[in-house]
Amino acid sequence: MRAQKISGLLFLVGLMLAWESASRADLMNPLIVPHLSRILGIFWDMLWSGAIPMQILLSMKRAAMGYLLAAVVFIPLGIVMGLSQGTYRALEVIVEMLRPVPPPVVIPVALLFFGLEDEMKVFVIFFSCAWPILLNTIDGVRNIDWVLLNTAKTFCLSRSQTIWRIILPAASPQIITGLRVSLPIMLILVVISEMVGSTDGIGYFILDAQRRFKVAQMYAGMFALAILGYALNQVFNLLHRRLLSWHWGMMKRDLE
Amino acid sequence: MNGRYNFNWPGWASFVFLLLLWELGARVAPGYRLYLPPISSVIGALGQLIISGAVGRHLLATLERFLAGYLIAAAIGVTLGILLGYFQPLHNLLGILIELLRPMPSVAIIPVAILTLGIGDSMIVAVTVYAGVWSILINTIDGVRHIESTLVDTGRTFGLSRSRILWQIILPGASPYIVTGLRIALSIALILVTTAEMIAGGKGMGFYILDEERSMNSANMYAGIVIVAALGYTLNRLFLALEGRVMKWRHGMMAREMA
Repeated sequence: MRAQKISGLLFLVGLMLAWESASRADLMNPLIVPHLSRILGIFWDMLWSGAIPMQILLSMKRAAMGYLLAAVVFIPLGIVMGLSQGTYRALEVIVEMLRPVPPPVVIPVALLFFGLEDEMKVFVIFFSCAWPILLNTIDGVRNIDWVLLNTAKTFCLSRSQTIWRIILPAASPQIITGLRVSLPIMLILVVISEMVGSTDGIGYFILDAQRRFKVAQMYAGMFALAILGYALNQVFNLLHRRLLSWHWGMMKRDLE
Repeated sequence: MNGRYNFNWPGWASFVFLLLLWELGARVAPGYRLYLPPISSVIGALGQLIISGAVGRHLLATLERFLAGYLIAAAIGVTLGILLGYFQPLHNLLGILIELLRPMPSVAIIPVAILTLGIGDSMIVAVTVYAGVWSILINTIDGVRHIESTLVDTGRTFGLSRSRILWQIILPGASPYIVTGLRIALSIALILVTTAEMIAGGKGMGFYILDEERSMNSANMYAGIVIVAALGYTLNRLFLALEGRVMKWRHGMMAREMA
């Protein structure tokens, strides 16, 4: 495992050295590919001057609002649709009509309603995260073992108790899958909506840097986004393991 | 999904009810016409766009870019995925690079593409290729790694040539994973095409919809969205139909194993 990583790291370092020396030898147009050292230097400066953290904070605020709103609306809706076949049937056509809409196409609608405000991005993220969360929750609820529900009935658990103690925990692995799938979607759409209609945020920052030919800034912004994407994934995985440790424990016990 | 004999009456009823509510709301409050034109005028705009063919140019541009980007991404993703899945040293070499590039939201590549390729078809196709490749590549690598080594060994024992091992063992063995990657890439590619068209493009559905919004023709904007949704839906259906065709042998095999 160690040795495998080493060859990859060496390759990466080699690639970076090749980039640096090629741009120093004027083999690459500096307007398109500036020196790597310059990009990293600018990234470092902007990190400590607070320029990049501020843009990221702005973007993440919008992203978090849209994402959480989608979770708050569509997890309960998914539970209802998973439990009641009637509700599912009644809403199925509407969902199937809205789902194939590619999310960026919703941006003009959001622009119309909200202009360049934060609500515009929040709405777009809300809309695009909705489907993975909703469909996974429905699936999760439907796949609950009926024995569990019948047991709850036998023990005269109230409706709310059944939902909180039985349905939500039993469906949680799939609900979390939905939340995980929508995480990269959230990130993509906050960047897109900031590129199309915004005056700040990391998406705007990158596109604006390109338009002003501040190429090193542009790459620095992309670098920041890559780190952000990686960090988000790691944090989610950590939470995932924490939240579902009981689930994995149970699975293990079942296997033994 | 219960087939055409089981028509979902309540579902369509609530859908039509929603449209009627929309129509009624737009008529009661004409001040909001700009935001929410009556659905009847959206349908009218849609009909006019289709009959006059005004939108055909945009639809065709989007479709061409999508197909070019998607097919190139598939070719690159599957080829590279098989190589990386099969040759461990190659994977050691490139694995970290992939892990570093993948978490970056693919749309962030658009400014770089504009810088190097300008604004035009090649930029949009390049961006689509970049975004589409990842899910195909990762899934193909996974698929190749999940092939039972006995299968490949058996092939070797029988003296199969490298290319026959590739075509008759590795590709079919990894195909369920490859198909999953291709399906994910389908919607990602459509997202990237429309986005790139919004940011830099003189034609295409993404450009059209945003342009109609900017010129306050909201009925045309909604009509454009309906068309893009129909495009997305059709592409998805087409994919599922093709998948059913191509993967038929596998379902047959699975059924036999179960029996």
